[in-house]
Amino acid sequence: MGLLDSHLLTWILFAPAIGAVLMLLLPADRPRLLRRAAFAFSLVPLALSIYLWIGYDPARAGYQFVEQVAWYVNIGSSYHVGVDGISVPMVLLTTLLTPLALLISWSVEERIRSYMALFLFLETGMLGVFLSLDLLLFFVFWEIGLVPMYFLINQWGSANRNYASFKFLIITMAGSLGLLLAIQLIGLTVGTFDLTTITRVWPTYAASLSVAGLPVNLPVETVKAIAFWAFVIAFAIKVPVWPFHTWLPDAHTEAPTAGSMILAGVLLKLGGYGFLRLVLPLYPQQASAFAGALAALAVLSIVLGAFGSWGQSDFKRLVAYSSVNHMGFVLLGVAAAARAYGTLSANDAIIAVNGAVLQMFNHGLSAAGMFLLVGVIYERTHTRELSAYRGLFPLAPVYGGILIFTAMASLGLPGLNGFISEYMVVQGTWPIFSAYTALAMIGLLITGAYILKAIGSVLHGPLNESWAGHKLEINRREVLAIAPLMVLMLSIGVWPMWILRVIEPTVMRLFG
Amino acid sequence: MIPLSWYLLLAAALFCIGLYGVLGRRNAVAVLMGIELMLNAVNINLVAFWRYLTPTVIAGQAFAIIVFAVAASEAAVGLALIISIYRQRSTVIAEDIDLMKW
Amino acid sequence: MPTTLLIWLIPLPPLLAFGLIVLWANRSPRVSTAVAVGGMALSWVFGLVVFAAAVGAEHLGAEPFASSIPWLPLGTEVLRIGILVDPLSAITLFFVVWTCLAIFVYSIGYSNFGKARDPQDRPGLPPHAGGVEPLYGRFFAFLSLFAFGMLTLVLSDNLLLLFIGWEIMGLCSYLLIGFWFGKESARKAMVKAFITTRVGDVFMLLGIAALYSFTGTLSFHEILRSPDTLNALAAAPSGVLGLSLAGLIGLLLFAGTVGKSAQFPLHVWLPDAMEGPTPVSAMIHAAAMVSAGIYLILRFFPLLTVGWHPGEPLTTTMLVISAVGAFTALFASTIAVAQNDIKRVLAYSTISQLGYMVAAVGIGAFVAAAFHLVTHAFFKALLFLGSGSVIHGMEHGLAASSKNAAQAMPGQGGPAGQSGAHAGHDHVDPQDMLNMGGLRRKMPWTFWTFLIGGLALAGFPIVTAGFWSKDEILSAAFGTHTLVFVLLALAALLTALYTARQIGMTFFGSPRSPAAEHAHESRPVMLAPLVLLSVFSIAAGWAGIHHEFPVIGGWIPNWFEEFVAGALAAHPEATAFALPPLLTSLVVSLGGLTLGFLIYRRLPRGAVDPLARWLGPVHTLLRNKYYVDELYAAVVVRPAYWFGETFVYAWTDRKVIDGVLHGAARLVLAVGAWLRHWIDLLIVNGFGDLVGGATKGAGRMFRVIQSGRVQAYLAAGLLFAGLMLSYMLLVRP
Repeated sequence: MGLLDSHLLTWILFAPAIGAVLMLLLPADRPRLLRRAAFAFSLVPLALSIYLWIGYDPARAGYQFVEQVAWYVNIGSSYHVGVDGISVPMVLLTTLLTPLALLISWSVEERIRSYMALFLFLETGMLGVFLSLDLLLFFVFWEIGLVPMYFLINQWGSANRNYASFKFLIITMAGSLGLLLAIQLIGLTVGTFDLTTITRVWPTYAASLSVAGLPVNLPVETVKAIAFWAFVIAFAIKVPVWPFHTWLPDAHTEAPTAGSMILAGVLLKLGGYGFLRLVLPLYPQQASAFAGALAALAVLSIVLGAFGSWGQSDFKRLVAYSSVNHMGFVLLGVAAAARAYGTLSANDAIIAVNGAVLQMFNHGLSAAGMFLLVGVIYERTHTRELSAYRGLFPLAPVYGGILIFTAMASLGLPGLNGFISEYMVVQGTWPIFSAYTALAMIGLLITGAYILKAIGSVLHGPLNESWAGHKLEINRREVLAIAPLMVLMLSIGVWPMWILRVIEPTVMRLFG
Repeated sequence: MIPLSWYLLLAAALFCIGLYGVLGRRNAVAVLMGIELMLNAVNINLVAFWRYLTPTVIAGQAFAIIVFAVAASEAAVGLALIISIYRQRSTVIAEDIDLMKW
Repeated sequence: MPTTLLIWLIPLPPLLAFGLIVLWANRSPRVSTAVAVGGMALSWVFGLVVFAAAVGAEHLGAEPFASSIPWLPLGTEVLRIGILVDPLSAITLFFVVWTCLAIFVYSIGYSNFGKARDPQDRPGLPPHAGGVEPLYGRFFAFLSLFAFGMLTLVLSDNLLLLFIGWEIMGLCSYLLIGFWFGKESARKAMVKAFITTRVGDVFMLLGIAALYSFTGTLSFHEILRSPDTLNALAAAPSGVLGLSLAGLIGLLLFAGTVGKSAQFPLHVWLPDAMEGPTPVSAMIHAAAMVSAGIYLILRFFPLLTVGWHPGEPLTTTMLVISAVGAFTALFASTIAVAQNDIKRVLAYSTISQLGYMVAAVGIGAFVAAAFHLVTHAFFKALLFLGSGSVIHGMEHGLAASSKNAAQAMPGQGGPAGQSGAHAGHDHVDPQDMLNMGGLRRKMPWTFWTFLIGGLALAGFPIVTAGFWSKDEILSAAFGTHTLVFVLLALAALLTALYTARQIGMTFFGSPRSPAAEHAHESRPVMLAPLVLLSVFSIAAGWAGIHHEFPVIGGWIPNWFEEFVAGALAAHPEATAFALPPLLTSLVVSLGGLTLGFLIYRRLPRGAVDPLARWLGPVHTLLRNKYYVDELYAAVVVRPAYWFGETFVYAWTDRKVIDGVLHGAARLVLAVGAWLRHWIDLLIVNGFGDLVGGATKGAGRMFRVIQSGRVQAYLAAGLLFAGLMLSYMLLVRP
């Protein structure tokens, strides 16, 4: 236990990668073995992160389970990992969704070994972002996560996968360019890439900036503003924020089911996490100054994402756009907290950020659930066109019930998890950005419209004779995959305290 | 005594005749003969310098003997090569033996 | 068991019933019924016990039964949720448990429990007469969830929990209105209901956020019973339209009511909601959902009327509320007069009656509005269930008459005859009152109970509950705002008119179709709730007789007034009794009833509605609901959908944003091609080629030296040696 405790995060981080390597040693022509082995490997980080959750103490300030090992000593970068109340739920989400995604991937028939290995590598990449406390390490894992995803979409996706995977990769990397430059700037100026040090030093850094010995002939504030926007654009592409979101519908739609689950469930949260972990603490003044712009973009995401979703005729693309809609609330909460910096509205900022973090977790659950269900019906009907379904409820009542449940969580029905986080974001943002909050309500209204459109087209609708002979009902393995999500959705909706008591103290310390 | 220069002149004349033979004769055997002349001219030079400058040191004589040996073996080899070429190409004219060109 | 614990338990049995049915008892109608009705019955028992306790408690308004737990951390504080029973929630609880139980029992018969499954019935479509509902378990599951939502709402002690119950009911109404999702009209109606109420809900959410951010709490007791908080809210400016914060929040919350209680302009969902099975209509439109909207504004009465005292002119908020209510009351009653579907008349009637209650709140008549809420729940539920009984009878008559028709044509036996019967089934609408007539002889129990309900609705004097509550509202309006009084009086006249029209067309005269001829009475399990509700429709009003009422005032103390008035911190006094509103009430009620009865009691078969003849184009306008739906579709729905599908997705996303991205990609490709062409190929490759070419050229130039002729080599060597020698001797000695 001692070895486990002292290096718990490293275990969690690299267990999937070790699993991936072990996968590569298995024979490629034994599908059942490969699937079960991959699933078993993915349960290890899950067990560890539950252990982490239990061991995490919300009352203690600062990062916990910290490990630091020298890495690039000359430039001040180290292998520095740690968790606090914002990253622990994200770690749990990642390690929870990966096994479920693997469980759903039973229908993948080609190159199973590579598929499973890529997934496990991807999990390491994502976990690394959430755990790292060193900017360079953060960036390394940020970029690492892109490669397996690219291949997953490119090799196992649908018809338009080449375009979608390419678009996803290039747009995200384009955003990361600015991020890398800004990270270099910060690292060289402060002298280290360590996040805890930078958080202390950088926000108040006012000396004239000299980058690697070259005097930059711009005022410090301008350089900081440019760096701020570089960070923002990189994360805004990931979240995604309108208008940087167009990669998402293509990537989500063309990815295999499990790929979409992870993409929507976790990868988008990397962007939100970036905002909360890096943008707000490192650039409080700039964020406050530009908070209005961020809030405007957030509202545009919410509203236009909802409208875009409503206008879709492809089931998967509809769910994809719903991610834009839901993640807009995360950015709205972030913008509120940004504006509230240094003012008396700290309590509202706390509520808004709590809501934003919870919204990330909740959306991870409900989006993964929705994509899972889309995949279930797609495997059986081989179409994603809403007009091709119609009236499936009598043929698949269990599926229908689960779909309604998950869709209602996505819609933000009170009693389920989505409502709690959306309410908290609205509650926290209203005093700070009243007009934007009011506009965001349009998005909420249209959210109802597209969710009902999805349910209506799939389950209700003229009773469709063409599917009468098919076996459409969801099977036990798939129910097993979505059951944990449903339990979590319900439990957070009914008793949100169990997760908020982890998030809240950290948020209060960071933004109070 | 006959002055040294006479011997040198003789050697030089012989050398030039030999050089003319090497460069100007068509027949390969004649070229070889010219080479023999040149070598002998060198020999005369060597002996003359030995007799007139350092009579007591044997190096000049020894060098002349070596040159004889070289000339003889070189003639043997050269003739053997010419015979071989003649057997291949039925000619001993130096100008026509130009295979090793660009 | 302490009362507060019991209150916590009240909403739980239906929730458990929902869970049990969904997870386990789905397939078995018997178990579903037992679980659902059992759960509701438990809630009913607990509810009545709590009600009894509430009635017996002193100062229940100031010291309600309350209990709360911490639930949601919001910043530095933790929002508590819990239960609160004060007079308002007590009487609401009373009618909710009674009406819900009645509806549950009725649903057993309505869903044809105990009958065999008709093989031609398909899940998602209404069952044929005589076949059990294919999705029986699902129906009771949703009804149970609905009851849970309403009970949660009623018993909640804070606005957030109320909102949770509110939205859960919204979900259930969506699922229940679209219960027969195989019908396109049902599918459209379910979405319409959800979205239209959601419009109101998003405003309400803003109101909740605004309220919390100012006061730091959402608890009813802390906000509404604290004069300091209320005055602070009234004094704070909101920055919107010059309203105070209290006004803004009040209007935002009222927007929720406008949606949920189907006031103009968000009334359009309610008539279409008739697509659901009749018990659903009763549940949504009488017992539960629409009542929730009224309950909300009654609960927030102190906030809505802050700064106002009886006798003073109305505040802006109150004016808005009473305007909406009074207008809706009249507006909907005009439409109801022109409807032929038995349930649509009741739907518009509900909208109109809710307008009454809203108007009452708007003019400050708290007790009167609450009174009408209670009585309306009973008689409207009765009317809806009665109409369901009528429809069932008509459907049975339809099946019987087409069977007769099929038997009368023996040559068409077998499948052809069956399809003929069903074709007939589709053409004759069992819900159209023009096809009814004379049903009072065929369905006597239904008739008498429906009559009682209808008379209550019309405000028939003394013996019906509706009279007392409506009269109180009219009295209050008379004393406060003349225009509102006039509008409400006119609405009352039309109410009586269309009620008599409805009863006349349905039950009097002679049957106008074979279906009506062969109709028969419904099962006892459906009739018992009707009888129960008629008892309440008669007697409930007697709890609130004004003590100055001529002759009988004072015989029974005005218990309702005393009890409910205690809910407000500022105990309102009973309005003084005045004769004109009473007379007006009598005139419009009796006059309307008589007029309607006379016109419609003997409508012959195939007749055109007399009103249609007299009013001509106006009638067409009324029958088409003033084309409001069409207006919304053209101005709101279609443009919004166009915005989503075309503007946002096709244009902005695909053409503009992706166009930018693709353009950037093309630019990069072009730059790359340019670089390759001009720099890579030309310069870099060219340089390499140049070097190679030059070398080759030089080589070609120099190789002539290699002639292969030995003598030439020797000559060259000689020449070079000569040069070297001369260089070494002459130039550099």
